[in-house]
Amino acid sequence: MENLDHILLFITDIKTEDCKTKLQAILDNYDGISKWNIALDDQDFVLRIVSETLNHQQIIELINNQGHFCCELT
Amino acid sequence: MRIRDEEKVQLVKQKALESLVKDGFEGFSMNKLAKACGISVATLYIYYKDKDDLIISIGQEEGDKMADAMIKNFDPTASFEDGMRIQWQNRYAYVMANPLAYLFFEQLRTSTYQVKFLESFMQKFKVVITAFMHNVVARGEMNPMPLEVFWSVAYSPLYSLIRFEREGQSVGGKPFKMTDKILWQTFDLVIKALKN
Repeated sequence: MENLDHILLFITDIKTEDCKTKLQAILDNYDGISKWNIALDDQDFVLRIVSETLNHQQIIELINNQGHFCCELT
Repeated sequence: MRIRDEEKVQLVKQKALESLVKDGFEGFSMNKLAKACGISVATLYIYYKDKDDLIISIGQEEGDKMADAMIKNFDPTASFEDGMRIQWQNRYAYVMANPLAYLFFEQLRTSTYQVKFLESFMQKFKVVITAFMHNVVARGEMNPMPLEVFWSVAYSPLYSLIRFEREGQSVGGKPFKMTDKILWQTFDLVIKALKN
């Protein structure tokens, strides 16, 4: 079972399969990200990251650098 | 440190079943579910990675519970009639005790989730029931026949009665209340049809 403390959640504007596919190349290979998924059917397009080492701010910067809105889901 | 709150998880499962049965898969959302549970959306996403993950997890868990209920006190070496009687008792008791889960399975059966759900659905049950069927055919208590033929005769009558009972009415809107007499009268006819 996943360690719940390693789950990072974000509200994004990643709305389409195309946007998701573009991010896939980065997220799949990013050091420290063990699992990720985006709920495209959610009104907040929730990005869920499982990472033992990264924090919210690092993910926000990573997603912002790809031209997407991203903030912590609390 | 985040700790999995089992009470909250149970509440989520119960409310999810209620919402799914009431609104269907299309009308169901993580936001609506979080509101119904009085918890944050974030909490839901900590437990489940998305809506599909939640639906499939609940389906598999409820499927396991149903499988356990169906093989309770069931002996695969029992005679055909005794084994079938236990199956009827178990199936009837399960649906009456778990009406929401039963309706949820009906929805899953005709949905795009079906394939994922069926991958692991009732594996344990299938092993036991296959052994039972093999034994009764080997003893000559019943002739071999296609599964669909067997199921249509063996269980469709039971599920028709269950539907009448759940709806409180039978054919043409006639008021209906299940009794032991009706259940076992139907069962006896089923056995008569199938048993050599």
